[in-house]
This record gives sequence, structure tokens and C-alpha cells, in this order.
Amino acid sequence: MPKGEVYSQLMKEISEGKYVFTGELEPEKAGDVDEQIHAAKELVGLVTACNVTDNPQSFAYVSSLAAAYKIQKESGMECVYQLRCADRNRMALLSDLLGASVLGIKNVLALAGDHVSLGDTPDTKPVFDLDSTTLIYMIRKMVDEGKDLVGKEIHNPPKLHVGGAAAPGAAHLKAEVAKVKRKIKVGVEYIQTQVVYYPEVLDKFFKELGKVDVPILVGIFPAKSFGAADFFDKYVAGVDVPPDYLKSLEATKDIKDKEKKKDEIDRINVEYFTNFLEYLKGTPAAGCHMMAVGYPRIIGPLRKVMK
Amino acid sequence: MIAQEQKPIEEILGYLDGKKNIVIVGCGGCATFYHTGDRKAIDDMAAKLVSAGKSVTKIPMPFSMQVCDVEKSEVFLNKKRKALEDCDAVLVMSCGDGVQVATEYIEDGMGIVKPVYPANNAIGLVGGGPTKFKETCLSCGMCELGKTAGICPLTSCGKGLMNGPCGGVRVDNKCEIDPEKDCAWVKIYERMEKLGELDKFIEMRAPHEWSKCKRPRLFEIEEPVNTITAALGALPDFLSYAISSKPKREEEKK
Repeated sequence: MPKGEVYSQLMKEISEGKYVFTGELEPEKAGDVDEQIHAAKELVGLVTACNVTDNPQSFAYVSSLAAAYKIQKESGMECVYQLRCADRNRMALLSDLLGASVLGIKNVLALAGDHVSLGDTPDTKPVFDLDSTTLIYMIRKMVDEGKDLVGKEIHNPPKLHVGGAAAPGAAHLKAEVAKVKRKIKVGVEYIQTQVVYYPEVLDKFFKELGKVDVPILVGIFPAKSFGAADFFDKYVAGVDVPPDYLKSLEATKDIKDKEKKKDEIDRINVEYFTNFLEYLKGTPAAGCHMMAVGYPRIIGPLRKVMK
Repeated sequence: MIAQEQKPIEEILGYLDGKKNIVIVGCGGCATFYHTGDRKAIDDMAAKLVSAGKSVTKIPMPFSMQVCDVEKSEVFLNKKRKALEDCDAVLVMSCGDGVQVATEYIEDGMGIVKPVYPANNAIGLVGGGPTKFKETCLSCGMCELGKTAGICPLTSCGKGLMNGPCGGVRVDNKCEIDPEKDCAWVKIYERMEKLGELDKFIEMRAPHEWSKCKRPRLFEIEEPVNTITAALGALPDFLSYAISSKPKREEEKK
């Protein structure tokens, strides 16, 4: 929880105790972010802020810094600039964070990132000079003390809030929770979880974590297609997509009429996530991160559940 | 060989703080060449620990028996099972590889759970000797030497450039990060010139395939080497080396 000054709308709402919603935008391998700006516009008023992904799954895409700046400027949607350690050493991370300050970014989600060998350019030399914890530490040092990692002064220090990730579905939950506590110890201001589908998984996570003074946004992933859900199930570590939900999405593959197919996918998502969001109300979660990449139309119906 | 140097004694004593009975494990491999794990190094370390109030049990490995070669080191570790069971901590005088092999064997092989600490810092894969060594290979898994006149730029160039030299090369062809070190790319140029292969120099070499170096790398061979047979077979050659190199070594002493 931010102890000092609040710089962003996201952190303002969290500190006021409002239940927040965030969305996610994924820049692609393209020379523009027009599609993401369009999606962001659709989400204005429905979510407080949107994450802008940084080379997700180690696929090399538009810089999340450039994208976050442009999206924020063109759509008015506050962005959470995702920054991963996989591609940048500590100097580049610091430069980009100062750049984010210059460009008016207020929130950073500090991530280690998937290994580069899992992505579309597997021969890349992996960096990981810092990890998510040391990146959070560096950001807090920059913001709170106005210093870089070696103690050199930063003129006009950046005003950024830093979030970190957690994986409630991790195979070794105790180690995962200890890692989250370590992030809290170095000053992370909020935690956003990896996608969760099962209440039992989240319950176990909260129980293991105990009471902490850091707000937690729980990640959900309403999938826009069977393929998207299937990809998550197969390739994203620590995430199991419920077989029944997957099956219902798979059945939509046979629907020829595009509009009917869309409606059916929306119906499946609303049905599944209505229950999940109802359940979320009774957990210590401070909000919900809706990772509905390329699927902004689902956010409105889901928001209604939490009214 | 894996070059190594001993950690500052203060760091070692820091790890051993509050621990009375210490087992020191040595290494008869690379650590012997760098005086970081041979009998003398173990004796010196033991003396330091004793003067710091510790009780010490020593497990040296004979020359050529590396602690990382578990088939050999297990014999010597098992001989001192009782000391390992009773100790408060184990100090391994080898590279990090040896430390971890010993840890795993003591824990999984012998069923003894003890804190195990490193005494040395490993520096890298080096060649040369007898007193001066140079790191020349990264063990990257995708050797580029065929494209660079037998000099590895990933290791020998400070920036690891595949297409150098960079703009920082000094007037005396030394590296910008260390005036003692040669610019690897000037060396590559000169060697290609000697070999009449300068046409290769101006060809762009593709970025290195780092995917061949996904850590941790695991490795398996079908037939384990019989080291006893190999060692006995090498004995005549070893003796002939010992005789022929004696004058040279005596000259070095002077």
C-alpha cells in the first residue's frame, strides 16, 4: 500500500479502498498500436488502468514503453507499463524507467519475464541481470531516495508506483509465497496475480500468504476463443484452465455464423466468470485484473457482476 | 581447467559463524593446480580455522581425483562418514561444481543434511600454465572458432562481439576495458591475414545462437570411462613426461 504520495489513478483508487478493475493491452509485431488504442478507448470507464505488455511469452513486439505512452496519450486510459528483466540489463532498465517518467507513465509492473528461448527469437542472449525483486528494489530506490543502484543521485526522481506478480497456481506454493513476501519486503506497492480459474487455488494462496499490507489484484482470463484458452492451458506455467470451460469454448468452433459464435463465447465467459467474480467478492482481493487481450467487449458485461 | 582463487578468510569465517566442528573437503583436480584444494591448501585453511576456535576434520582427495567426479570422491567422503555426521558445517575447497556435487552426494547419497560452504571463487575455463592462465572458452555449446581464425571473440573480446573490433580499441591494440588485454578482433584480423583468409573477415558473422546455452545444461554419455585403466595406460607416457620436463622445471625454479 502506498505510504507516501499517490501519483496514479490506479493507486489512488486502491488506497481509497475502492475495488479496482484493470485490463490488458498487448502491442504486437507492428509499426503501430492503433488497434490497442482502439481497445483502450472501449475500456475507458470500465477499468481504472490497463497493463501494456512487454514482449509477452518472449515474443518481440512493440516496446511497452512506447506503446504505453502512445495509448495513454491517445485514449486517455491510464497505463501500467510492464517491464521485464529478460531483455534489459540494469542500465537499460533504469534508462527506460526514467524515460517512462519523462513520458508521464505512473505505474510499472516489474517482471522477470519468460525465458527468451520460449519465444519467437530463441537464439537471443537472455539478460536477467536483475530479477523481479531487484527491479522492484531499484524502482523504490529511484522513487523514494532519488538514487540509482550504485547510490548516484537522480535529478527530479521519477514518480512511479511499482507492482509485482504472484503465481497462486505455482507447484511449490510455499516457495512462491515466500518470494511474494520478499517482494513486499523490498517495497512492492501492489501484487497482481497470474490468471486463476479455481477458487480453491486462490483460497490456498491467500491462506498461505496470510494477512499482508499490500493490495492484491487477482488475474482472470476471459478467452476470446478456444485457441486462446487452449494456449494458456498448454503453455502458461502454473495455470490450469478448467476442462468444462475449455470444452464449452471448443464446441463454439462448429458455429458457422460469426455473430452467433461471438455471442456464444461471450455467454460462456459471462457464465463462468460471473461465478468466479461473485466468489472473489468474499476474498481479500483488492481488485481484479482482467487479462482479456483483444477482447474488450467482454469487460462491460463482467463489470456488471461486480456492481 | 577451472581456474579458482580462495575467498577472503573473513567471508569464509562469516559462513562458519556459530559453527564449531568443520569438515574440510579438498579436491585433487583443478583446485590442486591453483593451490586452492590440495593438501597444503587444506592444511593452511585448517590452521586458520583452528586459530578461529574451530575443530577441523580434513578430507583431502588424492592428485587427479576431483571432488566433482562423484565415483571417486564418494570413496573418500564415505571414509569420513562419522565426521560428516557429527560436523556443524562442511567447507569444500574446489570450484562451485565440486561444492554442489559434494553437497548433493552428502545429502542424497549419504543421507546427511549439513550446510556446505564454498572456500573458493571459480574464475573460468582457462588454458596455459604453469603459472599464467587465460580464459579462452565460454563452453557456450555452439563453437564459433571455425569462423574466427581459432580465437573466440565471445570470450576474448570484452564485449563478446561477433563482428569487431569495436571503436574502443586502444592505440596499442589493447582492449578498452583493460590495457593489459589484447583486442581479440585485432588478433583475429592478424591471424586471418597470416592464413590468407582476410576475405572471411569482412563477411558478417550471424548473431551467436545462445539457445545452445540454455542453463542448466545436462549431459549424458553412453559409456563411462574406466579411469583406473586409463590412468594405468597413461603411466608410461606420464613417466616419460616427468623425465623430459624435469630440466625445464628446474630452470623455471631459477
